[in-house]
Amino acid sequence: MSKPNDLLQGTLDLLILKTISLEPVHGWAIAKRIQQSSGDVLLVQQGSLYPALHRLEQQGWIDSETKPTESGRVAKFYSLTKAGKKQLAIELNQWDRLSSAVSLVVRPA
Amino acid sequence: MKLLLRLKSLFQKDHLDDQLSDELAFHLEQQEAELIEKGFTPQQAKLEARRLFGPIASTREECRDKRKTQYLEDLSADTCFTLRSLRKSPTFSLIAILTLALGIGANTAFFSTAYGILFKPLPYPQPRQLVTLDEGMTGVGPVTTLRTLSTTTEYVGYVSSLDLNLFESGEASKLRASRTTFNLAQVLQTNPQLGRWFKQENERPGLHRVAVLSDQLWRTRFNANPNIVGRTITLNERPYEVLGVMPPSFAFPTPQTELWLPIPIDPRNVGEIWGNGNFLPIGRLKPNHTLATAQSEIRPLLDKVRSSFPWRMPDLYGANATVVRHDAALIKQVQPKLLVLAGATFLLLLIACGNVGNLLLARGIHRQREFSLRAALGASNARLLRQLLTENLILVILGGTAGLAIALLLFEALPMVFPKDTPRLEELLSDPTLPLGAAASLAVTILLFTTVPLLGGLSLKPSRHASKFSLTLIGIELALATTLLIGAALMGHTLWQLANQDSGIPATNVTTARIATGPSRCPNPDSCQALLNDLTQTLIQDPAIRSINWTNAAPFDPSFASVASAIEDHPKLPSDPAFVLWQTAATPGYFNTLGIRILAGRAFNDTDQAKSQLVTIISESTARRFWPNQNPIGKRVRPVYDPNWRTIIGVASDASLYSITGYPSWIDGVQYLPLTQSRFLSERNLQLSILLETTNNNWPSQLKQRYPDIVISNIATLGALRDSSIQSQRSTATLLTLFAVLGLILGIAGVHGVIAHRAAQRTKEMGIRMALGARPAQLVRMVLAETFIASTLGTSAVIVAAWLLSRYLKSLVFGITIHDPLAFTLSPAILILAATIAASIPAIRATRTDPALTLRQD
Repeated sequence: MSKPNDLLQGTLDLLILKTISLEPVHGWAIAKRIQQSSGDVLLVQQGSLYPALHRLEQQGWIDSETKPTESGRVAKFYSLTKAGKKQLAIELNQWDRLSSAVSLVVRPA
Repeated sequence: MKLLLRLKSLFQKDHLDDQLSDELAFHLEQQEAELIEKGFTPQQAKLEARRLFGPIASTREECRDKRKTQYLEDLSADTCFTLRSLRKSPTFSLIAILTLALGIGANTAFFSTAYGILFKPLPYPQPRQLVTLDEGMTGVGPVTTLRTLSTTTEYVGYVSSLDLNLFESGEASKLRASRTTFNLAQVLQTNPQLGRWFKQENERPGLHRVAVLSDQLWRTRFNANPNIVGRTITLNERPYEVLGVMPPSFAFPTPQTELWLPIPIDPRNVGEIWGNGNFLPIGRLKPNHTLATAQSEIRPLLDKVRSSFPWRMPDLYGANATVVRHDAALIKQVQPKLLVLAGATFLLLLIACGNVGNLLLARGIHRQREFSLRAALGASNARLLRQLLTENLILVILGGTAGLAIALLLFEALPMVFPKDTPRLEELLSDPTLPLGAAASLAVTILLFTTVPLLGGLSLKPSRHASKFSLTLIGIELALATTLLIGAALMGHTLWQLANQDSGIPATNVTTARIATGPSRCPNPDSCQALLNDLTQTLIQDPAIRSINWTNAAPFDPSFASVASAIEDHPKLPSDPAFVLWQTAATPGYFNTLGIRILAGRAFNDTDQAKSQLVTIISESTARRFWPNQNPIGKRVRPVYDPNWRTIIGVASDASLYSITGYPSWIDGVQYLPLTQSRFLSERNLQLSILLETTNNNWPSQLKQRYPDIVISNIATLGALRDSSIQSQRSTATLLTLFAVLGLILGIAGVHGVIAHRAAQRTKEMGIRMALGARPAQLVRMVLAETFIASTLGTSAVIVAAWLLSRYLKSLVFGITIHDPLAFTLSPAILILAATIAASIPAIRATRTDPALTLRQD
């Protein structure tokens, strides 16, 4: 396993919000999905995932709920709140601007 | 929203912590399961999962931090810590909390009082539109003419107080009434709670026998009878129809007013309408008019009114009239006293804060070690300061709570401090604005206790600076205490002057009372005289009664009549104001009973009858003013409206009948008439004061037995009347003295504490000095020098301020100047002396310690 790229500062929030925007997901699955969707490029550090989740919850963007998983074990599932959906839109927009700006600099047409 | 989440996090702290552990455990389980699938043994999987995760404890800590409840948790920790440490040093806590409670309590009570009486809007709609005239004209004629002519203001007239006899269910009692023009309720925009107010037609004689009751009278005398409207009540033996009942809040002109009657206006009764000035104006500015427009109208208007008098009035009458706001005029009298008392309690609060501040500083120095330790363990400066502020706040809150209890007690005592006729007092007592006063006092205290520690760099660091700072605080405290002491000394000196003021009436043990009867007892002067004789005969049977005399008014009552008079040898132009004489009618034994001496001529005697020559006695200073170096006996005076001259038959020693402080400047002289020749016997409702030298107190029942319908009120001795006439100065002096003594005690306690503390800190230095040969006296002097400098600087700085502030006491002091040298030298001297004594105790104690011992310390 190659050393994963460090996540760009501030993009973790965006990745989390996007990942849980479809359905409620628990912490382990969030990490796994980010890793899978990025083709094993983005590896989320567990040490930063949970503080990030708690911070987002405290900001009122995500909500949590404890319920049983498929295996029957009870886990904490996160989902987007209304404010969270707005925030996701804002962060997506920011990301688009940032990535196209970076592209303009590194690959001028 | 975020705050709510945070609060939720705070209260569910344990639950959230469990959840967090569980969540992290779940993550590890999943990781292990995945690893086992990849072929790890369970043992290896467990270790590998942990390794992959990293340090769990710090992740958990980080997650917790994200809840942002740290401040709140610290706060609750600090609170617990403070409460515990307060419990551990009960003496400190008790002194600090009591000191603060005293300051906050006194300040809350007097701030609320000052606000309730001086600043709270009057309980009428748009009270700022209500106006009255200063140096205007009074009387039914002038006021109703103003009402007709003014375009800016709707004027109303009223008699401020009128005593009536109510005869109800077989019992006679005195009522305090007010006669007003019909538009009073309309101008004050207050409607009766029951029935209706008068109409304009009720001002016509014959239709005027209607009355509106106060809520109080309705409840106490008529059992709040809902069918009272339309009932007939008996006032001064005449039937009056009750029209309505006013709401409880209606307290015009005074809270004691029990009944309102319309003023009957009979244009034929010229003397009463234009000559009786006992009818005052008040008004409401009409829409779109201001004080300025009303003012621009008033003087030309009064010129017109002056020329409509049926006789020539002095050109100056009403010429300086100004329109003023009613609320301002109402409180003019009590304002200085209230401001002085509120100011004094504010100073007391500052002193209390200074003292507790010093206690805290001293404690802070003792806690140096604790703070150093915590700083070494990683506590930031901000964190430590936050803890100190929390501690201060908790002290303030505890002190404030105790202070509120003190404020409530003080509030109960207010009626003792303020005379019953203080405007708005009843309103204040029924609706004390305590929360406002408390908020103001607490705000000041909290402000002081949060900024001062920051300014003082509160002893987190070396204490040299803090110690200087507490000396400064002491200087300020002593300065404030000096101000209080100067105020108290001024009032105390005033009180002493008043108590020793020679009123010219040496008698104190004479009993007086007001006696009133209705018109049927006294239809003409002859029957009045017969009634008086019969009352006298009834009482004279009692061997306990040595003398009985009658007069129109007891001494020290400023509400009785003065008369515009012409004086022989002193002609005046009709355009100039006439002389005003203070007039007292009395029976022959009056002078003897009161101890007023006849210096020349004779006293009245039984030959002075209604039909005999009209005679008068004048006072010594009146004689000196009008006939210096001449014999006044045989000269003549008369009221301006009466063509018959009265001949002066005697000169009496000066007596201050108006008030013990003498007569106001507008009174030019004092005269006495025989009661037999006065108008007081020809009034339909006889109202006289009796003067008795008696050793028993059951004479009223003897009179009542013979005349059940007679009303006897205001029974008091002359001594008591004299005392109550200086009640206002006495209560101000007492309170200021109380505050000053408290301020002094606090200030001195502060000095003692600080010096003791400084001396304790310097024991080592003293030990070295003594070892090097310094004598104890030198060391004491060294310690005392600081106190002396601090107290002298403080007190002398404040003398300038007190010199300027004392003008607020101007209307309260008597017999001394507001810059009374005694008060201004004695007070600072007392303070400097007391401070030096307080400081010398710890100073001497410090020098008693063995230098060898102190040097060996540490």
